[in-house]
Amino acid sequence: MKRLLLMAFVPILLSVTAWGQDEKIVSGKVTSADDGMGLPGVNVVVQGTTKGSTTDTEGNYSIQLAPAENTLVFTFVGYKTVTVDVSTRTTADVVLEADVTSLEEVVVVGYGTQREKDLTSAISTIKTEDIVKTPTGQAMQALQGRVPGLQIVSSGQPGVSPTVRVRGVGSLPRKDADGNPLNTEAPLYVVDGMFFDNIDFLNPADIATISILKDASAAAIYGVRAANGVVLIETKTGKINQKAQITYDGYYGVQVAQNVVKMANSEQFTNMALESGSPSDAAAIANAMQRYGRSRVNPNVPDVNTDWYDEILRNAPIQNHSLGVTGGGESTTYSIGASYFAQDGILDTENDFERFTLRSRIDYQANNWLKVGGNVNISNATKYGQDVVAQNGEAWKIAYFAPPVMPVIDEANDDAWPTKYASAQDIGYRDGKNPFPVMDFNRNKLRQKKLLANFYVKVDLIPDKLSFQTTYNLGSTFQDERNVDLPYFLSSNAQTANSAIVKKSETFFNQIWDNVLTFDQAFGNHFFTVMAGTSFRDEAWDMLEARGEDLFTPGQEKSWYIDQANEIKADDVGDDAYRNYGISYFGRISYNYSDRYLLYATMRADGTSKYQEKWGYFPSVGVGWVISEENFMSDIGTINFLKLRGSWGRLGNDKIEATSGANVLTLPTTAIDETLVTGSLSELTFGYLRWELTEEWNVGLTARVFNDRLSLDADYFVRDSKDAAIPVRILTGDTGIRSQGIIRNSGVEVALNWNDNLSNDLTYTIGVNFATLKNEARDLYGLSYIDGGQAEFLQRTRVGDPLLAFYGYETVGVYQNTAQIEADPVATALNAADPEGDAIVPGDFIFNDVDGDGAITGDDRVILGSYLPSFTYGVNLGASFKNFDLSVNMMGQSGNKILNRKRGEIIWTPDGNMDADLAKNRWHGEGTSNKYPSSAGLRKGWNQRMSNYFVEDGDFFRIQNVTLAYNLQGERLGEKIPDARISFTAERPLTVFSYNGFNPEVPDGVDTQTYPIPAIYTVGLSVKF
Amino acid sequence: MKSMKNFIMISVFCAALFGATSCHDLLDEDPENNNYTGQTDYTNTSNMIRPLIGAYAEFQDRGWEDFPVIAVRGDDVNAGGLGDQQDFAEEDKFNYNKDYWMFNSVWQNLYRDILYATQAIEEVTKYREFADNQAVADQYIAEAKVIRAYLLFNLSRVWGTVLIPETSDPTVLPGAEPSTKEEVMQYISDQMDEAAPALPAIHPNQRTDIRGGVTRFTALAVQALANLELKDYQGVADATSQIISSNAFTLEPDYYNLFKVPGKLSNENILELQYSDFGTASGNLEAYLFAFFGPESWEPKVSGAGGGWGFYEPSLKYIKFMLDRGETTRLETSVIFTNRGIDEIKKDPNYAVLPAWVSNTTPSGDVFNNYNRAMFASGKHYLPSDQLTPGRTDYGTNKNFICIRYAEILLMHAEALLQGGSGGISADAAVNAVRTRAGLSTLSGVTLDQVMDEKYAELAMEWGTRYYDMVRLGRYDELSYDGRTFTENKIFLPYPQAQVDLLPSLGGNP
Repeated sequence: MKRLLLMAFVPILLSVTAWGQDEKIVSGKVTSADDGMGLPGVNVVVQGTTKGSTTDTEGNYSIQLAPAENTLVFTFVGYKTVTVDVSTRTTADVVLEADVTSLEEVVVVGYGTQREKDLTSAISTIKTEDIVKTPTGQAMQALQGRVPGLQIVSSGQPGVSPTVRVRGVGSLPRKDADGNPLNTEAPLYVVDGMFFDNIDFLNPADIATISILKDASAAAIYGVRAANGVVLIETKTGKINQKAQITYDGYYGVQVAQNVVKMANSEQFTNMALESGSPSDAAAIANAMQRYGRSRVNPNVPDVNTDWYDEILRNAPIQNHSLGVTGGGESTTYSIGASYFAQDGILDTENDFERFTLRSRIDYQANNWLKVGGNVNISNATKYGQDVVAQNGEAWKIAYFAPPVMPVIDEANDDAWPTKYASAQDIGYRDGKNPFPVMDFNRNKLRQKKLLANFYVKVDLIPDKLSFQTTYNLGSTFQDERNVDLPYFLSSNAQTANSAIVKKSETFFNQIWDNVLTFDQAFGNHFFTVMAGTSFRDEAWDMLEARGEDLFTPGQEKSWYIDQANEIKADDVGDDAYRNYGISYFGRISYNYSDRYLLYATMRADGTSKYQEKWGYFPSVGVGWVISEENFMSDIGTINFLKLRGSWGRLGNDKIEATSGANVLTLPTTAIDETLVTGSLSELTFGYLRWELTEEWNVGLTARVFNDRLSLDADYFVRDSKDAAIPVRILTGDTGIRSQGIIRNSGVEVALNWNDNLSNDLTYTIGVNFATLKNEARDLYGLSYIDGGQAEFLQRTRVGDPLLAFYGYETVGVYQNTAQIEADPVATALNAADPEGDAIVPGDFIFNDVDGDGAITGDDRVILGSYLPSFTYGVNLGASFKNFDLSVNMMGQSGNKILNRKRGEIIWTPDGNMDADLAKNRWHGEGTSNKYPSSAGLRKGWNQRMSNYFVEDGDFFRIQNVTLAYNLQGERLGEKIPDARISFTAERPLTVFSYNGFNPEVPDGVDTQTYPIPAIYTVGLSVKF
Repeated sequence: MKSMKNFIMISVFCAALFGATSCHDLLDEDPENNNYTGQTDYTNTSNMIRPLIGAYAEFQDRGWEDFPVIAVRGDDVNAGGLGDQQDFAEEDKFNYNKDYWMFNSVWQNLYRDILYATQAIEEVTKYREFADNQAVADQYIAEAKVIRAYLLFNLSRVWGTVLIPETSDPTVLPGAEPSTKEEVMQYISDQMDEAAPALPAIHPNQRTDIRGGVTRFTALAVQALANLELKDYQGVADATSQIISSNAFTLEPDYYNLFKVPGKLSNENILELQYSDFGTASGNLEAYLFAFFGPESWEPKVSGAGGGWGFYEPSLKYIKFMLDRGETTRLETSVIFTNRGIDEIKKDPNYAVLPAWVSNTTPSGDVFNNYNRAMFASGKHYLPSDQLTPGRTDYGTNKNFICIRYAEILLMHAEALLQGGSGGISADAAVNAVRTRAGLSTLSGVTLDQVMDEKYAELAMEWGTRYYDMVRLGRYDELSYDGRTFTENKIFLPYPQAQVDLLPSLGGNP
């Protein structure tokens, strides 16, 4: 109606101005890009004059212009300034975009907010626009390469969260009994006030902001939970007096396997087998030729050349759709939404992830002193796959080692059922080596229902000064795992005779009750905010599992229940639980003297039932000096803002598993006279832990220069984890966790952003960020080293070196001929001692005799490198031209090493395939290779010892994301059409690295075959009604 | 309105304050689902057997790599598994790699179980004062000592100088003083002196509480083994005489089935690892991984029965030795032939014609096909497919693993007498008992060589007995066969590198 009136009115105005000689009136409406609503109070100034006007409550303006006045400048606090040429028109509707670089912006800091310019600590915030660019079900994946000091290690398996590390690793990563990582290094996620270990249940499009509290001073308010950094997540909310806005966001795309590792083909494999010196391997090739024929190209190679990765990979779809309604009335704001995400795995079998979420957030100002609100987020996810919990599917491993001289299907394998898959046993190997049975006959499913709910009551005790808020948060997960093994037969050593089913039900029920009192006061130029609060936590988990064998009708999915099994294994019934309580008292003072001097202090006391030592105390302080507010700086016009920051804080790490502090009994079973009996044992070692404390210094600089076009944030930090929990090994190979050292992470983080307009239509941004990291064991409390990793692939934590550094021998080449061996005292001595005199032959590695004692001994081992990158960087480019915008993000890392554990598998079983690089570049005669040993050498203990042959560079560079979008706005046929944005995204289209594996992103640096990380190409549509 | 506001505020405050303070007790809650050793009620002596069962459970839960590393070096057996586990094949050829995973793993497994057995001794001791019948506690302690001694015996036979754990606390071991092999064997012998009187003097299969468990004769058998290593032949004879004169043991007439399901808890067995599928087609299973010994390719009489990895191959030297002796029962029990293996034997003109019974079909009717990794398989570690419980397919599942049997006692006794020991039955009587069961004629006036040959024939493929005998007697030429050269410095395996890193007091490898 109003629009109609306006439209009727404008021509009248125009006619009036036309009549008034050359003077004209320009009018229009100013709206916010955020929500499309009119913006009241926007300054509209004629460029080069002081003549101006402001918009009315609806955002409308009109201004009379002299003939030479052709340009209008629209400015509004918190929004980017827009300049419009009106020389040829009389209406100019303007959309103002929020100024994301604005320092006025408010940042969440935990139990409260702060203006960004008041911060004394290192906090990085990422907004929804940047999060939704990445097509992923896991919001944290979108942060890869965007925040210096934040390492994201992606996972390709649908539904699996990436590994997230804030400023290195201070605590030794550990795995549970099944080999799954315990995520002891993971940061704390706080979603609208509730604590989570991961945020796989959130629809990324529902997130308004993600803030990374990087330094100890920022995180210390979360005390015992904060040692690995804190990630604060705020979900979207409505605004007061905002018209209801209906939004659809969605994309559909395809995932394509990238950098598939090239495996040896049949010919290379045959050469390797024949050169191995192992008659049984040569016989297997002969058997393959007999069974499958001889190649016409090379009659000495079997007529099969299976590329197993090609067989098990596929292109897989990914899609997300979310629908939301946000808005607000005079006293209520709301945001309600639903989303559906589905991702198939690139492994060509049932391994998809599906998630449905619902959310509702409502805040209600009941009266002038009482506000209440509620927030509910429900997610229902189902994950299928051969390995639904861990990241490493068996199929990937089997495909890696599967011999290329064998087909997928072998019609001659008459005994096989239900599918005639080929078995390597039929050509002489120990077992089947065909990845298809585990893909077909392991039918596993994980259902996860997660609920986040919180409700608060906020009471203003003294208006605008003192308020009290009590919040109840609930985070719960209901999880059902169902793993079914169906019977099959390939050959006698590749079969599952009996079907089996394992069911596991888990419930996590975590509650937090926070009570917070906040006091704001200003005396002249002194501004205080004081906060004090208590928090009570109750974390409960329980689990029940059972295993049944021999299902009555295994073919029927509806009968996959324990009840339908003939035998229920008493031994495999599991029942477990934990319940941890925590009580905390905390407070914060922030003080600001005329925006120039800043002081910040927090204190938290945490009590926990988890450790032997019940209470921990976590203080922090921060100071800031806004130099640009000083009088002497006022003349330096290019510097808009300059702040020096410094902070110190102490944090605790309660991700460390609860320890018993005493020997715990276990109840083993055994057979005595055909009866199952149960005994008791007390574990040989136990953990005893003090609090793992992290203390961190951070100094930083924040600057905005050249009219806010260039922003700079730089930080230097030193973070010490004291009494770090470290598994200490005993001679049985078991470990007990002890508070056994000080681990230091230190580094520099820099983020630079430049944005500018080249013309009214063309704007661009350039962002560069990088971080260095030095990880080091400072002290191991009397020990000079602690060994970890596998005994055969040792990772040693040594004082002065990085945590769990790869430790072994250094190869310096390959012996090329007998003369070279005879000239080498090490080899000569060994051959003399060997009765056959062939301990060392050409094609064997030459190791560096570090101590020069003429023999390769344990003393010749050296640190071979760390799995943590020492340098990470990101480059983010953006440009928008008229209705198009383009963004390109790149990232990379260097300085880390990867243990190519797949090549190491030969130590245990040598009858598998190998990567083509190894097969091609093997030593097979003088001068053929100085890098890899001969095929026979690969099987020798001499060459199999842990060395830099197994440890490769993990450096990589990646084009992370390219998004091109077209924005559609305005009217068509006189009707306002909905704002729409069509986007094309290429996620990870290019990764460059030298490592001989699928991808250089290996969370713990030990590559036993992770799920490959695909490139994703999507088309997206976003519509606002 | 004002009062309403105050009411809400005060109640919220009170709730907050009350909530926070009342929760402090919760911080002292113990973790869920944990039994603390410290909280064990030692007055409840009905649980006293549990730590002992725990020790048995660990003892019987043997890693598959333990036995091969302990037993492969003799001239009775080769590594087999050609192309796989090269350093295991190298061990068989006396070239040892201190970085080899199996060596470290065996060290860890043996020590873990030694520590658990030590712990059982400590735990039962705590119950002892509350026990109605302290003799039962003493018996349990003695049983755990025997298990511990047997494990320590194998550890020291492989590595020589090792650490003897005095308590179950592993953290004190890095500083402990190592003991030489002689000291370890003397320690075992002394421990068995302590243990034997507390144990029942019956056959293990006569026990009612833990049938097949340790008895006094097990202790004596372990003592005899340790004394033999010490070359304390009188000590051997004393121990073996007691076992023999007890008449608790007899040789199993069916030698072939002694190593199969019917031989479980046989009257011949003195110590065995017990396994069971509890007679069911699926469900609970306690099993040893016999697949290590199994054929890579076979046509089992019961189709679908699983094969194995093709390791642990009886040596041609042993087979020819047995053919020379005209053995049938023990050869067909100990060795399973493939056609390729038979051809290999025949290549030697002296063996161009083999007895008619030699074929690739086992006495039970399973056919062993040719496979690449080995020419022969170990018969004592083979279970006929028709002895598998229907529904079970794993090779050898439900078969027990014999550690010490009466035939070895008889032959140790015979040797001890010939080496200067005295007492008990004559050497002839002992050897002839074994020969008669094997279907051989009796001997009179047996010599040491004849006893050692008998032992070779009887105990081949069992726990490296042949290797350790030859080492003890210095008959290195016997071990230097098929291109191998054995020298004194090859007797012991090097310490695993991981253990050298962890236990500096071992002094490293030379």
